[in-house]
Amino acid sequence: MATPRGRDVPRWIIATTLGLSMLAVGLTAYLTVTHYTDPSALACPDTGIINCTAVTTSSWSAILGVPVALLGLLWALTMAGLNSPWAWRSSTKWLPAARLTLSGAGAVMVLYLVYIELFRVDAICLWCTGVHLTAVALFAAVLAGRASLATTSRAASLAR
Amino acid sequence: MSNTPSGSERPSRPAPHTSTQKSTSRSSFRRRHPILRALVPIGLVVLALVTLVVIKVTGGSSNATPAASKVVSGNGGSSGSSGSTPLPAGVLSEVTSVSPATLGAIGEPSSSTSPTATGSKTTLTAANGKPEILFMGAEFCPYCAAQRWALVVALSQFGTFSGLTATHSTTTDVYPDTKTFSFYGSTYTSTSLDFTSVELESNQVSGNSYATLQTPTSAETALLSRYDAAPYTSQPGSIPFLDIANKYISVGAGFTPQVLQGLSMQQIASQLSHKNSPVATAIDGEANRIVASITAATGIKPGPAAPAAPAVGS
Repeated sequence: MATPRGRDVPRWIIATTLGLSMLAVGLTAYLTVTHYTDPSALACPDTGIINCTAVTTSSWSAILGVPVALLGLLWALTMAGLNSPWAWRSSTKWLPAARLTLSGAGAVMVLYLVYIELFRVDAICLWCTGVHLTAVALFAAVLAGRASLATTSRAASLAR
Repeated sequence: MSNTPSGSERPSRPAPHTSTQKSTSRSSFRRRHPILRALVPIGLVVLALVTLVVIKVTGGSSNATPAASKVVSGNGGSSGSSGSTPLPAGVLSEVTSVSPATLGAIGEPSSSTSPTATGSKTTLTAANGKPEILFMGAEFCPYCAAQRWALVVALSQFGTFSGLTATHSTTTDVYPDTKTFSFYGSTYTSTSLDFTSVELESNQVSGNSYATLQTPTSAETALLSRYDAAPYTSQPGSIPFLDIANKYISVGAGFTPQVLQGLSMQQIASQLSHKNSPVATAIDGEANRIVASITAATGIKPGPAAPAAPAVGS
């Protein structure tokens, strides 16, 4: 099979992955800023099962001392770079693998964080849920982009 | 890949109506729908998420408490049944392991109030000779519910609780259903202090009141009559009543139970180590004031893992 060529990626894949990455950057930036300033200032109900403050100030809100919100922001910024038009069209070999690995890691992290919310903190953070949905959708878009690349490469190979 | 009878490789194009028809149609599907095939991992992720939600909704929480209340035995003088259940997993460890750094950072915020000095020259001691901390409250009482959180955080710096259970204040008073511990049936072990608790009533309605849980001794009643009165409080006879070796008295909650409204025990406990949390500010701040009063009253400082006690009344 021929090496996939980034310039063959449909525009909608590039637009979708970049858009989702930028949305993730915005959401995680908001969570990070409130984490370091006033966690209770999150625009979110603070009673019952929907309780952003309970989640973002819980003992699970940091991993090895690093706030999860900050880790999320760093991940989102990296994904934004990997999903830029330049990165998609680049022929650099490690970029597709990095994109797939990081988006997959994001989806796995979502599973862990949702478990923590539901079964350890006993509360759901709406803003975090927004990030979770974005991360899963981004993983789907990256997979679709990868499949699209493979299809285009196969077609080009058969044509030759 | 199948081989022909002669052993040579079959042509790559599959022949129709052969034994490999099924696998052939599958690979044909994959070729025709590469994106659908690629999205299989997403299907697995979504399936896992849905499974988590279903388990949660159907009550399969790893921290779930039994639906039925558990009757526990009291420390003597008891006559009723407690509306308490076992503590959710992880709550006790979170409450008893608030770091000195967190407690020190929170200090004594204005949202909490210090116990009042009585001016007594004598120190209340237990039969074992240790300075005594006496708490009198009731499970239905929302202010007692709030104060117990701070008391557990504070006393855990001098000793160890066992047998604590989960309960909540009544749903028909202010700050309804405030989640808290019950001291009923619990024990406290410390090398330096003695802690006695009297949970007067449960949160179970009995007639026009609540079921009696524990009856104070005559000595405890005498302390209540003496110190749960003016000038030590503006609300004589109120609970929670906290007597720190007769040197400091606290009547009522040291912070508003409003901060705990709508929160589960896990939610409250998980916030105690976050210095910016309003829950931690209230509970840890009040705990700091109780610790400071204990140290001022008895000269006993928290254990090695505990923070230096802040000054009383600052």
